[in-house]
Amino acid sequence: MKKTSIIDSSYKDELKKVFSYKRNFLILLFICVLQVQATELYPQTSKFTISFERITLAEFFDEIEKQSEYLFIYKDIDVDGVKINLNIKNATITELLDAALEKTGLSYTIDGRHFSIFRLDAEQKDLKNAASDPKIQNYPKYQNITKKNITGNVTDEQGNPIIGANIKENGTTNGTISDENGSFSLNIEDNALISVSYMGFVTQEISTAGKTFINVILREDTKILDEFVVVGYESKRRRDITGSIEIVNIDNLQKTVSSSALQALQGLASGVNIVSSGAPGLDSKILIRGITSFGDANPLIIVDGIEQNLNNINANEIESLQVLKDAGAASIYGVRGSNGVIIVTTKKGKISAPTVSYDGYYGMTYPLPGNPFNLLNSEDFMHVYNTAIPGNELFARGMPDYTYRGPNGAGVGFESDPEVNPANYFYEAPNRGRNYIIQKVNKKGEDWFHHFFKKAPRQNHTITVSGGTEKAKYLFSTGYMRQEGTATKTSLQRVSVRINTEYSIKNWLKIGENANFIYKSTPGFTNQDQFSTLTQIYRLFPITPLKDIKGNWAGSFGGPNLGSAGANPVGAQYRSIEKDVDRQFITLGNIFAEVNILKGLTARTSIGYNIQNLYSQDYGPNITENIEGSSNPDNLTISSNFATTMTFSNTLSYERIIGVHGIKALIGSEAIESVERGHFGSSADFFSNDFNYLILNNGTSGKTNSSWVNENSLFSLFARLDYSFDNKYLLGITIRRDGSSRFGSYKKYGTFPSLSMGWRISEEVFAKKLTWLDDLKIRGSYGILGSQNNISGNNAFSLYHSNLGRTYYDINGTGNSAELGFAQSQIGNANTGWEKDKVLNLGFDATILNQSLFISAEYYRKNTEGLLFNEPLPAVVAGSASTPVINIGDIRNTGFDISLTYKGTIAKDLSFSAGINFTPYKNTIVNIPDPGYFYAGGLLDTWDNICKNKEGHPMSSFYGYKVIGIFKSDDEVVSAATQDGAQPGRFRYQDTDKDGKITDKDRVFIGDPNPDFTFGIPLYFNYRNIDLSAFFYGSYGNDIFNSTRYFLDFFQYYPGNKSNRLLDAWTPENLNSTIPKIENTKSFSNCTVTNSYFIEDGSYLRLKSLILGYTFPSSLLQKFKMSKLRIYIESTNLFTITKYSGLDPELGGSNSNFGIDIGNYPNNECSIILGFNITF
Amino acid sequence: MKINKQFALVSVCILSLSIVSNCDNNFLEKRPFGTTTEATLANKEGLNALLIGAYSYLKGGSGGGFVSSWMAVASQDDARLGCEDGASIENCFLYDATNAYINERWVFLYSAIQNCNDVLRLLPEAKDLTDEEKGQINAEARFLRGIYYLYLAIGWKNVPWIDETVTYSEQNYLVSNTTPIYPKIEEDFEHAANYLTETKAQVGRGNKWAAKCFLVKTYMFQKKFSEAKILLDDIIVNGKTSNNLKYGLLEKYGDNFKTETKNGREGVFVVQMSVNDGANGANGNPMDYFNGPYGSPATCCYGCFAPYFDLIDAYQTDHLTGLPLIDTYQLTPIKNDQGLSSSDPFTPHEGTLDSRLDWCVGRRGIPYLDWGVHPGKSWIRSQYTDGPYSAIKNICWQARVETDREAGSSATNTPLSLIRFADVLLWAAECEIEVGRLSNAESYVNRVRERASNPQGFVYKYIDDNDPLRGFSSIPAANYKVGLYTGQFASNGKTYARKAVRFERRLELACEHQRYFDLLRYDGLDFDLANWHNWVMQREGSQPGFNPSNNYKQAMFIRDKNELFPIPQEQIDKSAGKNGISVLIQNPGW
Repeated sequence: MKKTSIIDSSYKDELKKVFSYKRNFLILLFICVLQVQATELYPQTSKFTISFERITLAEFFDEIEKQSEYLFIYKDIDVDGVKINLNIKNATITELLDAALEKTGLSYTIDGRHFSIFRLDAEQKDLKNAASDPKIQNYPKYQNITKKNITGNVTDEQGNPIIGANIKENGTTNGTISDENGSFSLNIEDNALISVSYMGFVTQEISTAGKTFINVILREDTKILDEFVVVGYESKRRRDITGSIEIVNIDNLQKTVSSSALQALQGLASGVNIVSSGAPGLDSKILIRGITSFGDANPLIIVDGIEQNLNNINANEIESLQVLKDAGAASIYGVRGSNGVIIVTTKKGKISAPTVSYDGYYGMTYPLPGNPFNLLNSEDFMHVYNTAIPGNELFARGMPDYTYRGPNGAGVGFESDPEVNPANYFYEAPNRGRNYIIQKVNKKGEDWFHHFFKKAPRQNHTITVSGGTEKAKYLFSTGYMRQEGTATKTSLQRVSVRINTEYSIKNWLKIGENANFIYKSTPGFTNQDQFSTLTQIYRLFPITPLKDIKGNWAGSFGGPNLGSAGANPVGAQYRSIEKDVDRQFITLGNIFAEVNILKGLTARTSIGYNIQNLYSQDYGPNITENIEGSSNPDNLTISSNFATTMTFSNTLSYERIIGVHGIKALIGSEAIESVERGHFGSSADFFSNDFNYLILNNGTSGKTNSSWVNENSLFSLFARLDYSFDNKYLLGITIRRDGSSRFGSYKKYGTFPSLSMGWRISEEVFAKKLTWLDDLKIRGSYGILGSQNNISGNNAFSLYHSNLGRTYYDINGTGNSAELGFAQSQIGNANTGWEKDKVLNLGFDATILNQSLFISAEYYRKNTEGLLFNEPLPAVVAGSASTPVINIGDIRNTGFDISLTYKGTIAKDLSFSAGINFTPYKNTIVNIPDPGYFYAGGLLDTWDNICKNKEGHPMSSFYGYKVIGIFKSDDEVVSAATQDGAQPGRFRYQDTDKDGKITDKDRVFIGDPNPDFTFGIPLYFNYRNIDLSAFFYGSYGNDIFNSTRYFLDFFQYYPGNKSNRLLDAWTPENLNSTIPKIENTKSFSNCTVTNSYFIEDGSYLRLKSLILGYTFPSSLLQKFKMSKLRIYIESTNLFTITKYSGLDPELGGSNSNFGIDIGNYPNNECSIILGFNITF
Repeated sequence: MKINKQFALVSVCILSLSIVSNCDNNFLEKRPFGTTTEATLANKEGLNALLIGAYSYLKGGSGGGFVSSWMAVASQDDARLGCEDGASIENCFLYDATNAYINERWVFLYSAIQNCNDVLRLLPEAKDLTDEEKGQINAEARFLRGIYYLYLAIGWKNVPWIDETVTYSEQNYLVSNTTPIYPKIEEDFEHAANYLTETKAQVGRGNKWAAKCFLVKTYMFQKKFSEAKILLDDIIVNGKTSNNLKYGLLEKYGDNFKTETKNGREGVFVVQMSVNDGANGANGNPMDYFNGPYGSPATCCYGCFAPYFDLIDAYQTDHLTGLPLIDTYQLTPIKNDQGLSSSDPFTPHEGTLDSRLDWCVGRRGIPYLDWGVHPGKSWIRSQYTDGPYSAIKNICWQARVETDREAGSSATNTPLSLIRFADVLLWAAECEIEVGRLSNAESYVNRVRERASNPQGFVYKYIDDNDPLRGFSSIPAANYKVGLYTGQFASNGKTYARKAVRFERRLELACEHQRYFDLLRYDGLDFDLANWHNWVMQREGSQPGFNPSNNYKQAMFIRDKNELFPIPQEQIDKSAGKNGISVLIQNPGW
């Protein structure tokens, strides 16, 4: 077989290229297998008898390949037109080649069964001639040459012997190969250089001066530049890439324990920010290169050609993951490319005997220790409460022993008081006003946090069976994951099955399929919600016990003024989530056929479906322990929906090398259609709360139902042309035209072009002299991307709706029925078009220092124009109808994406790699509708908005009054600018405009939730069979608006437990405190307006994972028929260094108000995991 | 042969590409689901449904959020927000043009107006309506539009007139707020009064007389007393409800707030609330949803809308004459249970009181409808910040809780009258005073007082306090005494008469969301609005034992500013023309 050279490749034949790609992987992944086989299969003992006349060299190599297992690698340019005559008998392969290449100016090297043919340059030719010509040996230069014998040992970085490595004296044909122990012996001239090479490893040149024994450690040649990466409808060699494509290190991705591939991606790709919460099953939020929209800025995620949610995919199933960041790369996805594209290829079967592997872990997650919310204990609480509400009933007689509430009211009691006699106790679940509840006061303080958060197990198991032949390849894998949340009763359970097969039916026809079935069960947890169960931890008083004296859940009902928590959070989780069902079944996959029509011309067709079926049941129990709503009936909500997305794509690709011109072209069409149908029903007041009784029919009141349908479609044509000149100058042109049903008839179609260029400087003659430089490419691109995420398919239509609770009216005066009414629900606009990104990208990729340092750096400027915004119409015309989405905003993101990886060896057997992914970006709102700003991030209705999105500022910036201190005295109040509610002990605001009055014009930008930069640092050490990796992640310069402080530091909002900070609150004796005085009155000067008191620095550095692994030596494993066994222990989130006072500085939220802590399920809980990787 | 096969495949590929390309146009046309367009509504049924949509705004609410808050904005001297907030910023005139509730109310009213305009705009396109039917729909839509504009006018005064010719597609919606609005409102009501029929098949619809009453209300806010008086004379003699009942007062005051007696002869225009109708309570007094006690056994509500101390004090009567202590009630504040817990002993006020007090305010020691004797603090969400009283007028009766309250919710179908006949009589009294016939005014006031003095309409003690559903005894719950005026109007003169009528309106219509606007009307006629508000806020703020550091301390009604709400800043911002200048002019002082 003929194959293009690895070093000087020429594009010749697509199919063969694919083959080489696969084989490289084989070599990389199954190096052990090969090294065993190399010597066994290819002893150079075959004898050839051949007679040819005037055949071309190419034909000659073909013939040898046919007769033997040998393969030849050469450059077309070297062999084209070379003809030889040959007549030889019983020759070994080397004798044969020596004869064939004589006088051709060509020579060869041997790698196992591979022969690389190369053209000798002038000097080499001289040497060669000199060596073989006895006359020349008499020249002085070659006199007095003493031969010496040198021995050595060749191993890989793990210390495994490399069998069959080529050891060659430089500039000669003198060489040998290493034996089964990796040892070799060679007679060489003194002080000669030897080179040691082996397929898949970096060739080393070693001076033998003064040595007789040499230990050679070969480092795996990751051949990064030759990797083929899938870049959207096609794959491409890494070195030829001109766009911005982040190729994620899959090893690192799979190392970190995570519930999804998306979660694991955090910090592994520069330019990509991922935020997760600790709640099992909650989707992570992802941003590529800043926020490009006020609405949905989620990137497009394509898995095996089909759009899919990466939150549902296990990192173990992934073969490769690329992030397309600029227009040069992403514009092939046109209107869906604006927010970047993530292309995922899952593992596929490879040519091998059936291989079974198992990956699994089991571990435990631990809740945050100590007092994470820094809450008061009971004694301190009493003190603070009495300060805020003097003369209150609760502590009127000191710390009570009991609290109670019955039909005639509530009170406190001491031991032996008649009111708290347990005989009075009465409880019925639907509280009909007869309940008499007695609660024993917890005088130390109830640890609600650790009632709510408990240690929780997690496990994951994946079994993969794969293999194949040239004709058919298959992979079957099944995974099971169960992650219990530390929050009571929360969990994620996922079962996934993946099957893919591929058949080469004819040499021109290939068909195959991918199928993926996912079952997911994750009872809902509402995160980042000011009324969520999590927030009840601090909204309950510390004196309130978990359960009342008879073991029912305790809460604010069982006493006077016990605060206004929404529920007993532990009780709520138990009663509700146990009866909740949240199941999703996803089937997706495609079938494809690939036809090789002519040489280099391939047609591919694929039809795929993503079918999702969701069923969710949400039970709301009687919350009898809570004063508010204690008589509300229980209720049940059930919804289900069915959604399908069809993707039908057809491509035609052509690839050809004509001399120094490389051409690669692709045209295609794609049709995508999504349909979603769902329904919803609820009812209330159930006779029994037994799980088996809970169906909608059994509710006795509050019955509602509804259903919905959504449909949209996209039809696209696209083309891409790549041209390379002499492998040095690269050019890529992409264009895509999308038609979308979401837009009105005037703006249905959009065109998205891009141009990218690259210059491989390292291929230039002058650069070849720089020995430290392995590869250097500079590249740039410019193009247009689009987004249609933030527009509904109905936008072009003016619509009217009816709504039972809004537009209906009881015109007949019955009191119990309402007549149908209509009102306008939407104003339509058919002129709305796409959001457009104009993206400029400049960068370089370099490999230097003998392939030990990889650098990639880029600068980008992304101007998002025509943001889809609801037109800000005055109420006089809009009324209650939603206003049409129109194109009226611009955002600019600029930034650098920098990644560095260094691989090195510290000592014998001890190697390491260290990297950093560094992501700084700057986001600026360039233009938004008049008046040039809008507010976002309002919490309770009575609170101000927290964020102001204003032109010239980053999105979601926090905006409010700047606290410049706390008024110390009445005198200070008088001398300061006039301020509503100014009093000693309250905030003093900055008089920004110096007009002597604090007005809303004094508000300033007080914080920016956008980080200056985020970074990930993967570290990896290897010593013999032991591997150690550490992964750090951090964020710097992001501010957090800690809204939990409304609850924790102020009695003015909902009474609840408070922070220990209040012990240091301002008093006339404690004038220098930064904590305002404890009081119960809301005021402009304490907490009714957004001010800088709530802003905190959210920078952090986290050791995301620390992994220690041991790989058993293969010699031992062979006895058990195993090819690989690795065990590891991993600890996640060993520490987080931050100044932030809340639970966790990693915060999600929507794009227009992120960085606000509203009671976030922390993502920094520590887990300890024990895991195995086994391959048979 | 092999090549042929390949070409066949290529053809298939190209064919499939072109198939998709050809069905391109249909493929990309997706019509909206689950909604309807103007085209399907331009007919008899569609227009009637749109008209119902226009009626539906009468229920109030604001499309979500803290629905009682609007009431709190406009309830100074009736009730404060409560719900632990005590006196809200809005209760104390501490809001500004960015206040969310003020904007919500503005948006809500213009939404309602848009809905009326939609009816008027589509009406000519309907082919299956007779001219008579069109005339009624037209008049009803204008009647409703008049109501919504009237609420805008009395709150903001300077509001843009948006009629059915203003639409998004015409891009003509940047309308200034400088044109006087009252003439437009009068036109709508006059049209409605001229064309609407006297009775309606459906009781909830506006009729001729309701339109006339709203026209009177429009006059009252412009101090056009003589125009109002002409109409009122006719209304009081000839007026009837849409269900053909001659206007009159119900026998018992409390029946005005009971579901079973709604749409009676006193109901000039009653909002039709409904519950258990499938809407999960959204149609049941959404604005008052949070009002009422907090805790068992009425086991509803959220403790909002907490009545003022001063309001309770105002219900004192002279123990001899039974007349209100118009000038002196403030000197003898009623004993209350502020600071006391439910287990502390407490005896309610024993002096003489107007019987309407206990239909308006829930207070310690008095039966709270048929829910039990109000125990004070244990039914109060936060006595320290809210005060000791509970709202009551929107609360349904325990005996009818199954039909009148949404299961598992605080929503009730208790009636909310936008105008009831007592209101009309007291307007008439005001007009008579202004035209100088004080004795006529007195007799109108006495008609209202006479009903209040009817012992049948008193609140009585329960037969058994532990089982309130067993019914009431014959012992009045408090010492009620309501007497009639006997010539005081004429003898004390116009200033006294004005005070007496206004006081009567306060007592009669307390907590029915009228008082705040009535005070606006009185301003300048023997009445200083600023003094009054500032006095009341100071009085509430200095109540012993009542949150000493609440918003009343900073409260301030500012003359030439707080008479009108600020035009919402958001609306000003959104109404900027191409030159960047808003067509909406902010109200004075803001």
